[in-house]
Amino acid sequence: MYGRKGCQLVKEIASGEKEQLTPFNSDLFDQVIAECSQHYVELQALIRNMQEKGLDVQTSKNEDHFGALIHHLSLVRNKRCLTSYMYNRAEILRNLIWKVGPVLPQEILEKLSHFEKEYFKKHSASLKSYMSRIDLDLAVDMVPPKDPYIQVRVLDDIGEGIVLSDEKSVNFARHSMHLLKRTDAEQFIARGLMEELTG
Amino acid sequence: MANYFDIDDILAEEELVSVVFQKAVNGVGIDPSSETDSVEPGSKVELPFWLAHELHLRQIATVKLPPSFNQKTRLELGADAACVDLRSRCPYFYEFGCKIAPLVGDRDMGSFLLSAFKNRYQEVLAKAHTAAFAAASKFLNLLTKEETNLYEAAQSSMAAFKKWRIGGPRFQRAAVLGRKRKPTA
Amino acid sequence: MAGQSDPHPSLFSADEVEFVAEDEMIEIVPNMRMEPLNLLCGDYGPFFPQMVTKVPIWLAIALKKRGKCTIRPPPWMSIESLTQILESERESQESFQVLPFHYVEISRLLFDHARDDIPDVYMVRSLIEDIRDVRFHKVETSLESFEDARSSAVRIKNLSAMEVNIVRPFVGRALQAFYKHGSPDLIPNPERMSNSNANRWQQAPDQGQRVCYELMHGVILKSALYEKDKGFDNDTRHCSTQARSCYIRMLARKIVPVFFGSLF
Repeated sequence: MYGRKGCQLVKEIASGEKEQLTPFNSDLFDQVIAECSQHYVELQALIRNMQEKGLDVQTSKNEDHFGALIHHLSLVRNKRCLTSYMYNRAEILRNLIWKVGPVLPQEILEKLSHFEKEYFKKHSASLKSYMSRIDLDLAVDMVPPKDPYIQVRVLDDIGEGIVLSDEKSVNFARHSMHLLKRTDAEQFIARGLMEELTG
Repeated sequence: MANYFDIDDILAEEELVSVVFQKAVNGVGIDPSSETDSVEPGSKVELPFWLAHELHLRQIATVKLPPSFNQKTRLELGADAACVDLRSRCPYFYEFGCKIAPLVGDRDMGSFLLSAFKNRYQEVLAKAHTAAFAAASKFLNLLTKEETNLYEAAQSSMAAFKKWRIGGPRFQRAAVLGRKRKPTA
Repeated sequence: MAGQSDPHPSLFSADEVEFVAEDEMIEIVPNMRMEPLNLLCGDYGPFFPQMVTKVPIWLAIALKKRGKCTIRPPPWMSIESLTQILESERESQESFQVLPFHYVEISRLLFDHARDDIPDVYMVRSLIEDIRDVRFHKVETSLESFEDARSSAVRIKNLSAMEVNIVRPFVGRALQAFYKHGSPDLIPNPERMSNSNANRWQQAPDQGQRVCYELMHGVILKSALYEKDKGFDNDTRHCSTQARSCYIRMLARKIVPVFFGSLF
């Protein structure tokens, strides 16, 4: 009560490693929401108390009023903690599009709540429509380019018959090396499926 | 201006301050010494800043200056600022100081924080670019959150520059995916 | 405030600063004959064997990689000039010598791609590294003197792009802290404070952000036209459009949060 749990939730984000996503703590999240309901119930009770005494709730400042005020402030505080938790996670989520691409790997999906998955989907969709409206793919060239083509090695079985932007189909067997269009390779590297070879 | 969603701002407001209640309050279990769910006028209670602040503004309770900003700390900081362990006193020393100053009417707080920061800032600057991480870790334990962020800002931009100078692959696996996962050969 | 969480610690990565440096001009000696290149960023050439001409560094490197030219290192990249700069840097603790704004990036690009065109490359390289170290040490010393200045300001002339970029996140935060604690209205009047609380949800985007948005939005509109230039089979020409559109993407990405911010 009185904002302790809400703060724990926020601390979880603060203590996590930078740019790393922690699993959505629905347990603690629900507990904070339950606390909010509890505060609301107690606030109502205090106000009823005042009404029973025949006091004007708007203007009288007695001990019940101050009690209700503390419950109100705790509610507002919890709200701030909850929204901040969501907001800061949403910010990491929005960045994921740039870092990993619109298809999230399992290890990240596991950490998201149902609503976050929805949010991510919708955000990618609106970004996509924005990009098609300005006729420019913003998701490539995350690092300023040097050459149109780069040498890569496949780290994981990606599968056969992947169609690249030049409409050629390639077989990316593990450990095979390819000279790819930089813009094609970029997403595979970001997802840890390929590595760039230099020198 | 405070940022509603800012994590550091929220945590800074969680710092405890002791308050003295001026009014009686019903139906709240915030006074551990009280047996009922109420607070008597004159009770001394430790409350998080966000609550104490609002109660103070409404004259329900008065806030006392936290020990992290008392005369002793000020003397210590005046003598050898860089060696004082501020983190254990208050992890958000500067931010919290700014928040508490108007409540306790401390007009010297700004200049006190400024001189503390100026003196410690030099040390942060010197350590950030030169010292190896292991050598700095003892020093890092003394820093407040604000100072740590400053240190990390300097460190990471220096590290990024060194990485660029050495060269190597320009495209990399997204950091958010974690470091594990060696492909099983 | 000093040390509030900041999702964008550094405005530009070192790679991005290098990319900008690639637009600096440099002299090359072609060994082939080629029609002028009419590119988005300008017209270069015509190219004749053994005739010195000026092109942007990225183009010079692209030609060099294909064995079409040698690069002439800029005059400041000679042992004599660098030795003299190093001496002067060491002599004066306060001032910085005048070097090209992108000297760190340009020298690294040339060491990577045109080392056979630089006389005494090892010596030149170690001189530049020494100069950079001496200068960076001086930057740190100057930053320490924030403390003496009553105005919380420090004036450093002739800093280069990379040097600025390295200290930018640190200096930005430190300055914020100095201004915040040094400001006389640390104790605001209560009325204003409660107002600011109420307005937390609806802070108007500041002027700077809007200007930046408008500027960059203009850039994006143009870029759609640029993209249509693509598809020349000329390798070099392709390089150019590629490079430009990347730059535009870079800028465009930076405004996306602003753009979407207005929707939420």
